[in-house]
Amino acid sequence: MDPILAEIYSTVFDAAPFVIAAYALLFAILCGYVVFIMGKLKRTEKKLAALEEHVDEQE
Amino acid sequence: MADEKTARLPRVGGRLDSLAPWALALGALLAIAGFVLNFTVAPLVNGATVAEPAVIGGTLVGNKLLLSQKIFYWHMPVAMASFAALVFTAYYSIRFLMTKEYRYDVRAKLATETSLVFVLCTMATGEMWTRFEWGVWWTWEPRLTTYFVLMLMIFGYFILRNAVEDTERRAVYSSVFGILIFIDVPICFMITRLIPSSVHPVIFRTDSGLSPEMLLPLLLSLFGFLLIAFGLYRLRLRVQLMEDALVRIQDKLED
Repeated sequence: MDPILAEIYSTVFDAAPFVIAAYALLFAILCGYVVFIMGKLKRTEKKLAALEEHVDEQE
Repeated sequence: MADEKTARLPRVGGRLDSLAPWALALGALLAIAGFVLNFTVAPLVNGATVAEPAVIGGTLVGNKLLLSQKIFYWHMPVAMASFAALVFTAYYSIRFLMTKEYRYDVRAKLATETSLVFVLCTMATGEMWTRFEWGVWWTWEPRLTTYFVLMLMIFGYFILRNAVEDTERRAVYSSVFGILIFIDVPICFMITRLIPSSVHPVIFRTDSGLSPEMLLPLLLSLFGFLLIAFGLYRLRLRVQLMEDALVRIQDKLED
């Protein structure tokens, strides 16, 4: 590679893992929160179904 | 009287709830568009001067090109989303203190929770930039410090909520604390103007200093993450209201 171009692009390859990590971490945090919400939703739906069953049994 | 009471109860499945998935989808699309344009259209910014300039793609380049700045295109939008969520924390906290209605306390808590998610995103992306550019994980730079204080206060908010068992007192204390957290938002926002720093440029001004190719992905990401924050907040609120309704029904059945 041309030494001038090598100097111009010298930080690009070194920075790449940090740029990828930054985007990956952001994505992981948002996905984690969505999973947390969906988990809560699933648990609530289960409890609701159990409650419905309980009410049906009482009737 | 009964109708008035029912109308005041939190509702699930309203118009805003139906908008939430669309807001999430549109927000994701805008953020992805911002991401793609960031890596295709937005040019790399200049770093230190090189010994001899070279012509790249018809342009004379006399500086090192910095890839690390690409982090900024999602870093700043998630920070703005965290601020926006805290505006709602303050609004609902004030509304709670004015009305003493539980629904505002729930909304304030969830707005703070949404803000925390985006604060963590901001911290994670910022840390990656700091680590690469300065070779350290942390430095007491003014914006970093004020934002770190903001994050600690949000943690404190949830610790406070868990520490107080009485519902009424918990809601009052956390509403006051929510307003206090919000006070740090303009400080965080204005700190780069009050104490100029080379690290955090002033973006919101008449001339942002960004070329249109850089401004477009930034604005797309900004609107995208604001919509994602709204969508996540409404989704979380919906689940919380369902949980609360379930507890109320269980209590009634036990009685």
